[in-house]
Amino acid sequence: MDADGASDVLARLRDVLRESAVEEHDWDAVVAETSIESLGFDSLTILDVLYDVEEEFGIALDPKQVVKTRTIGEIIALLEENGS
Amino acid sequence: MGEPRRVAVTGLGVACAIGTDVESFRTSLFAGRGGIARLRSLDTSEMKVGIGGEVDPEFVPAGLKRLRRRPADRAVDLGLVTASEALEDAGLIDDAPPYEAQPVAVILGTAVGAAESNTTLQQRFAERGVRGLRPTSVPRVMDNAISGGISIHFRLTGANFVVISACTSATNAMGTAYRMVRHGYADTVLTGGADGFFDPFYYGVWNNLGVMSRNSDPARACRPFDADRDGCVLGEGAGMLVFESWDRARGRGARIRGEILGYGESSDASHITSPSAEGQAVAMRAALVSAGIEPADLGAVNAHGTATLANDVCESGSIRAVLGDAAEDAPVSANKSYFGHTLGASGAIESIAALLSIERGSLPPNLNLESPDPECRVRLVGGDPEPLERPFVMKNSFGFGGSNGVLVLGPGV
Repeated sequence: MDADGASDVLARLRDVLRESAVEEHDWDAVVAETSIESLGFDSLTILDVLYDVEEEFGIALDPKQVVKTRTIGEIIALLEENGS
Repeated sequence: MGEPRRVAVTGLGVACAIGTDVESFRTSLFAGRGGIARLRSLDTSEMKVGIGGEVDPEFVPAGLKRLRRRPADRAVDLGLVTASEALEDAGLIDDAPPYEAQPVAVILGTAVGAAESNTTLQQRFAERGVRGLRPTSVPRVMDNAISGGISIHFRLTGANFVVISACTSATNAMGTAYRMVRHGYADTVLTGGADGFFDPFYYGVWNNLGVMSRNSDPARACRPFDADRDGCVLGEGAGMLVFESWDRARGRGARIRGEILGYGESSDASHITSPSAEGQAVAMRAALVSAGIEPADLGAVNAHGTATLANDVCESGSIRAVLGDAAEDAPVSANKSYFGHTLGASGAIESIAALLSIERGSLPPNLNLESPDPECRVRLVGGDPEPLERPFVMKNSFGFGGSNGVLVLGPGV
């Protein structure tokens, strides 16, 4: 995936995160290094992210892998592995 | 448990069609300025009725931003933002997170619960089946999402639950909170109620029930105790109050805004929607006994006053039965004429109106009471504010299912 592709995925992922989130954050400031926990997601609400990611990107992810992710970059890497 | 304790009210928060904080609410009330209008947030083109009492659309987004929260559900969000006003008013929190954990219970009423979330899920289920249900659907649609969300956000570690008894919900919740403080089960309780139901499903079912006013002039539609009334008008909103043991409130130097003197409750045990004057009277008498006052001590009655044909005649009869001749000296207020029937929040919002009346020594005018119904044989506040001669007010709430709840409110001195 090229740089533009990666930033496009990040932008779409930010929208997904915002829709699933309980807390409000500066979503434009979310980058690959941002920790998922710092955005207020936990082991329950990350399941909504998983659900919305699958809806947005049209792919199925392994919940066990998603729960292990710690940063936004790790979610992006999972998306890339699964062909997004 | 020791001796029963006095129960102080140390914090207030309110949002409804006539105000989004206590000050704007008070200003509208005593200016006689109602808030019923055509609904803006809901397409009612296929419904018989299209009016209601909506909260200022800027209120929830601005409040959530301040609290650093994303929208969750209309009722949950109304409750959360209004709770922040009451907790700040009581001096229990500063205005923004993070918060220190504190042993405050959260006991709230709601008639409909997380209505918006429920409707959204029903639509998704109809369109896509089980696949349309998000993983967090359960915590989103449960009715105690309101009390749970407030407890978690503000880190309030006392008991947290909701009371559901239709239009009596908030008053039953406040009665429960009163008893918890009075008998030493809690020192401080955030109580009240929240409901937000201007969505196609929940407004639709009320539309089809046939008890809503068809008056084409929104400002004149809600007419409690008026001979030309033709039904209730729905309103969304939340009312939040902090109840606290009197001694604790005094000890920490809190401003005491009123006192909960007594509470009574009963069930009609007769019909699921038709009220019973006998059942209502039982709750009123129990509240007066609980408060240790006589009918002649009451300065006013804050009525349930829905403006339905059935309620207002029945409630007038039960007030007259309980107060006897003292009913002539206890003018009846009907606040729903301002902001509509806020269902499970109504007892809380109207109790706040009653407490503000006690603070001010004055009763706000009743709107649209142009031809008092001769069948409603009580003394009604007219079109101008009236002095409150004695600072004790009885607050009635009655709900489908036959639930009756009555509070007696007094001054904070």
